[in-house]
Amino acid sequence: MSLAVADTCLLINWLSFRRWEDIFRLFRRILLPSIMVPELRSQRIRGRVEELVYRGRLAILPRADYVDREALRIFNLVNSTPGLPRIDEPEAYGLAYAALHGLPFLTDNASPKVAARSLSSLKGVVVYDSLDLLVMLYRGSGLRTAVEEFMSDTSVVFSRERLREAGVELEPRGG
Amino acid sequence: MSREEVEKLAKLLGLELDVESYLRAAEELARRVAEGAELRRRSADWAYIESRPEPLRTALKLLVETGDVKLVSAVTGISPETLECERIEARIPRLVV
Repeated sequence: MSLAVADTCLLINWLSFRRWEDIFRLFRRILLPSIMVPELRSQRIRGRVEELVYRGRLAILPRADYVDREALRIFNLVNSTPGLPRIDEPEAYGLAYAALHGLPFLTDNASPKVAARSLSSLKGVVVYDSLDLLVMLYRGSGLRTAVEEFMSDTSVVFSRERLREAGVELEPRGG
Repeated sequence: MSREEVEKLAKLLGLELDVESYLRAAEELARRVAEGAELRRRSADWAYIESRPEPLRTALKLLVETGDVKLVSAVTGISPETLECERIEARIPRLVV
C-alpha cells in the first residue's frame, strides 16, 4: 500500500506513539484533507505535521466540491442513525475522498467501518483502525508488546472482542 | 429510528444502502460502545481534570461521559486535536471497538 487518507484523531494518536514512524512502513504517504488542518492547533503536533509534509510523508489534500457532496450524504446518514458514534464533517470528507479514489481510510471511529460495509458508494474503501494497523505491522509477542505500548502512550483501549479477534492476549491489569 | 425511516433517509440522500446489515452493525456497535463509560470513569485522572481551566474541565468531564471527541468538540468549540491531547494527559481511555 502506498497511500492512505487519515482522520485527525488517529493521526494525533499515532504521533503520540513511541513507534509512530512505523506507520510509514505500511503507507509511503498519508493524505490529510485540508479541511482537517484547522483542527491541528498545538505547536507540538503542527511542528511534527510540518516536518512530515517537508519529508514528503504527509500531503494536504485540497477541498473539492464533488467530494463535499458525497461527504454530506454520509454525514447525514451516519449522524441520523441511533447507536452510531458521531462522524464530523472533516471525517466524512476524508472517508468520501478515500472511497472516490479507492484508498484506505484510517480512523479509530467505528462508524465509517459500519458505513463502508453497507453503503454501495463506499465499496471501494477499506477502513483501518489503530489495532488493524498494529496487526499489519507486528507479529506474535511483538504485536502484544506494541499493543501495550500503544495503549500506554495514547490511552487508547481496544475492546476485548477486538483483541480476541486479533489474537492478542494482554496481561490482566492489577488493582 | 425504524427500518422504514432509515430506508426513507437513504433514498432521500440518494444512497444505496444494505439496511439490514447497517442496522444490525449499528446495534452491535452501540452495545460495545456502551461498555466504555464505566471504563472511562474508572481510569480517568480526576485530579488532572479538576486542575484544568474552564471550559476544558467541563469538556473533559463530558468526554468521560460520552467518549465522543467529535461531539464534545462540536458542543464546546474546543478543537478535536486539543481534546485528543488533553484526553491522553487526563488518561481518559478511548475505546476502539
